[in-house]
Amino acid sequence: MSAVEVRLEPFGGVVLSAAQRERLALLADVVVAGGAGMPSASGAEVHTQWIDRVIAVRADLAEAVSRVLVLEGDPDEVLAGVRAGDPELFSGFAFAVAGAYLINPRVRRELGYPGPAPMKSPALPGEAEAYLEDGILDVVIARGPIYRPTPDAR
Amino acid sequence: MTQASTADVLIVGAGASGATAAKHLAEQGFSVVVLDQGHWTSPSDLPGNHPEYELLWGNHLWHPDPNMRSRPEDYPTNLDDSEQPVYMYNGAGGSTVFFAAVWSRPLPSDFRVRTFDGVADDWPISYEDLQPHFDATDRDMGVSGLAGNPAYPPGAPPPLPAHPIHLTGLRMAEGLNRLGWHWWPGYSAIPSRAHGHQTQCVRLGVCRTGCVVGAKGSADVTLLPDALRHGARIETGARVARITLDENGLASGAVYFQDGEEKFQPAKLVMLGANGIGTPRLLLMSDSARFPNGLANTSDMVGRRLMLHPFGSAVGLYEDDLEDWVGPAGTQIECMEFYESDPSRGFVRGSKWHVMGTGGPLEMATRWHIGEGVSEEPFWGAEFTARMKQSIGHSIDWIVHAEDLPEEHNRVTLDPTIADSDGLPGAKITYTTSENTHKILDFGLNRALEAHEAAGASKAWVTFRNFSSGHNLGTAKMGDDPETSVVDKWGRSHDVPNLYVIDGSVFPTSTATNPTSTICALAKRAATHIVETRREQEVSTA
Repeated sequence: MSAVEVRLEPFGGVVLSAAQRERLALLADVVVAGGAGMPSASGAEVHTQWIDRVIAVRADLAEAVSRVLVLEGDPDEVLAGVRAGDPELFSGFAFAVAGAYLINPRVRRELGYPGPAPMKSPALPGEAEAYLEDGILDVVIARGPIYRPTPDAR
Repeated sequence: MTQASTADVLIVGAGASGATAAKHLAEQGFSVVVLDQGHWTSPSDLPGNHPEYELLWGNHLWHPDPNMRSRPEDYPTNLDDSEQPVYMYNGAGGSTVFFAAVWSRPLPSDFRVRTFDGVADDWPISYEDLQPHFDATDRDMGVSGLAGNPAYPPGAPPPLPAHPIHLTGLRMAEGLNRLGWHWWPGYSAIPSRAHGHQTQCVRLGVCRTGCVVGAKGSADVTLLPDALRHGARIETGARVARITLDENGLASGAVYFQDGEEKFQPAKLVMLGANGIGTPRLLLMSDSARFPNGLANTSDMVGRRLMLHPFGSAVGLYEDDLEDWVGPAGTQIECMEFYESDPSRGFVRGSKWHVMGTGGPLEMATRWHIGEGVSEEPFWGAEFTARMKQSIGHSIDWIVHAEDLPEEHNRVTLDPTIADSDGLPGAKITYTTSENTHKILDFGLNRALEAHEAAGASKAWVTFRNFSSGHNLGTAKMGDDPETSVVDKWGRSHDVPNLYVIDGSVFPTSTATNPTSTICALAKRAATHIVETRREQEVSTA
């Protein structure tokens, strides 16, 4: 019986070359083309900056990026082929691109998030009560108990 | 082999149940040793402190599936015959480090399933037996909520005021009122104001990736500090290989590995709180001439009746900005309208629902990518940004928890073909979601879609229909009959009188509620019983 292989170090083995980044820009824009007032993947610097943050923490997504980058051809056709032939690989690549795109603070701001990371917003005094003060729970209370009591309760 | 001094009580596992027992026994003067194969988790290391928190939660350090995580303290599970993954976290605090802290009590009928509905088994205890322990563990874990819920019998109010139901809860509450369905502000083991060791919740909304401010009711934050303060010794990186027996057939301690060294911790009494997978694994690994089929397993019920308690999810989109990222993630409101059995529905038992934050933006992208009916719609490419703008901040997520009734073929066994980092066998999981559970989920999700419609959703769809909840239950059944159960109504082994099981393994039925409240109450009840009967307890003197 052998022990499972374990690895605790963050994954950081993949370093993209300039050529790979150029290719990634084209492919990533197929996944996130931009619109609705928001940039494309390359416009949001997915290929130059943010993809490195994804690769640094997700070996599975890094592998998907590497596997797609070696595929030659028109980016639209390449990803259409991957999606049809290997949906799991497509998902990995798409989520690597989306993950990189969605940690760009500018993108998060334009989506309506209050900050680049989760932000503290402790409840204000009286906030909980304010949601209930117009009697929205009254009808629930008025209907009475809905549970079945213990038949042999002491 | 290194041997420490004899403990009054040895507890295996520093999660919700082990920490509860450790705190209450240490407070009463017992010498307590807790062994856990994992380590303390520093809040500064948790994913929620980083912009890429959603990505980190799926990586090799933080993934909820131990097979994906593969830290040295994680043991492997063979899922070849399981249609669900198994989630857990090994370390101080156990899976409470990553739970959503939805704090949900079962109902009285959950303890009388056979009596009411003619299926499965009644529990050997009642809601009323557990009620004082629910109240005590509510205080332990900093529970916030609103008293007076007509879905429950009268009782003590939660120790802390309810959180705001927020815009998401309000919008859905209005919809449920239109339908005439039950709802109530949610209960969370997350304090609405500072409580004990816990800081006030600051509503980061990342509860499921670990609370980075020390607010959430993680057992490492709430319970273990009190256990330590009263003298308990907590050994981390300490993986138990087997429970030992003395010549009288009493549990005498545990052999464990720590830093590659084999050690022995003797004890007068042993409690297992290693969750519904780890506890049967350890019992099965502790076979002996006296117990050739595994320790405390003359009933052959150890490992059987596994309930993975699958859930479903239905997300709805709304025109208004609902700020759906505001925490606590756990629950804004809950609905118990469809909890009790109704034979006209074609199944027995029911479901509990709660509104949660959908999660971060990447989670929302996942919901589009895999959602029923929307996964075929254009999403990637030109549609991506429009879809994300349409949904981010504008969603409400219904979580539907079904009762998952026990079936003996769903089980945990040892898998000698895989092993952990100490060479101990992995756990083989055999699990199929039952037809009744599927029916409960399907019915609940259809009603949840109706609730979205009543609340004014512009679009709603099912994103998960049958998925593992991380609630690992039922594999060391509690009961009065030693031939059909592993432990008695106190959690004490029928076979080994000084061996207790205190985690979710003992659940005779799963209930449809999030189980941690019940797990803590059962552990507290077992600890209180030991304190009150300390002079009558049979203990090892080896």
